[in-house]
Amino acid sequence: MRLLPLVLVAAGCGTTGALQQVSLMGQCAESDAACSRRHPVAPLAVGATFHPELETSVTGTTTPTLRLESADPSVLAVDASGALVAKAPGASAVLISADDGSVVDFVHVWVAPVTAVTVARRDGDRIVGSIGLAVGEDLVLAPALWNGSQRLVGDASVRWSASSDATISLLHDGSADRRRLRARAPGKATITVALGDAKTSIDIEVVP
Amino acid sequence: MTARIRSRAGSSFGAALVPVLGVLAGCLPTLAAQTAAPPGRSARLDPVDGFWQPSSYRLELSAGIAIAVTCEHGSPCEHMKATSDNPAIVEVRPASLGVLERGWSGDAQTSAAMVVVGKSAGATTIRVHAKEGDRVIAVTVIPPPAH
Repeated sequence: MRLLPLVLVAAGCGTTGALQQVSLMGQCAESDAACSRRHPVAPLAVGATFHPELETSVTGTTTPTLRLESADPSVLAVDASGALVAKAPGASAVLISADDGSVVDFVHVWVAPVTAVTVARRDGDRIVGSIGLAVGEDLVLAPALWNGSQRLVGDASVRWSASSDATISLLHDGSADRRRLRARAPGKATITVALGDAKTSIDIEVVP
Repeated sequence: MTARIRSRAGSSFGAALVPVLGVLAGCLPTLAAQTAAPPGRSARLDPVDGFWQPSSYRLELSAGIAIAVTCEHGSPCEHMKATSDNPAIVEVRPASLGVLERGWSGDAQTSAAMVVVGKSAGATTIRVHAKEGDRVIAVTVIPPPAH
């Protein structure tokens, strides 16, 4: 049984349900590249949250009222807001149901542990060396979570810290995991980004 | 928009004759899997051979995994309802499939489908009831691989 071809939306990425009636995407603005990379075609990181957006493609109807349910809440839970919360490594079907409980579609979502954390610019360019900034300059950085060579998705409560608050300020930018670095005074500092036992550090040099 | 209609019997007279003979012989509805198992997990529906048609079905499903199954009897089953003897092991839900199936008599009806979800390791039975007859699925839910 193969239903209508799916229309994927602006972000250009998403996961099609097994019955090809529903697409599940991240809640991302079209121009937000950092967000759209979190689409759930990769496993969710343990401890991470994914905020899905649903769209159906069923002939003769707009998208009905839908709700999400997890087949195995010990692996993947659905919280009160409809977000997917990765609990433990494994796989779980996420059932997408109409208001009468009938299943419109389902997606198998995988959860994997985080073995490494890297940091990238907002455009996705990975930071591999030290960064030089001029006083007053800003730089937005986002963490990337990995399981071996596989990049994981989801918003995780990553811990950011700076060795010198006088040199660098770490500012929230409205995202759960991204930070805006502001160079405050000449000097050197080290930024550490950690999630569980996985962490990475970046050397920052601020010049006048 | 146009409705999607799938022809099951095709244009062959012989193909059309098979379900007719089946109905005349008192055949029961047939079940078919409509979705594949995800990698590394099991979701397999097999018929148990009988004299004329499958006597029943068996389903092997991994815990946490779902499979969609349709019911037909020349055309989609009417008033299909499926229940699990042990919902803690396997859960059965009706499925809403927006597709029409054309039967041997030329009529078209919305697919009759269910989604079966493996909840925990064990064995139980799913009982499918439809106007055209009843079916039994012996289900084995296997645990996922250890991590």
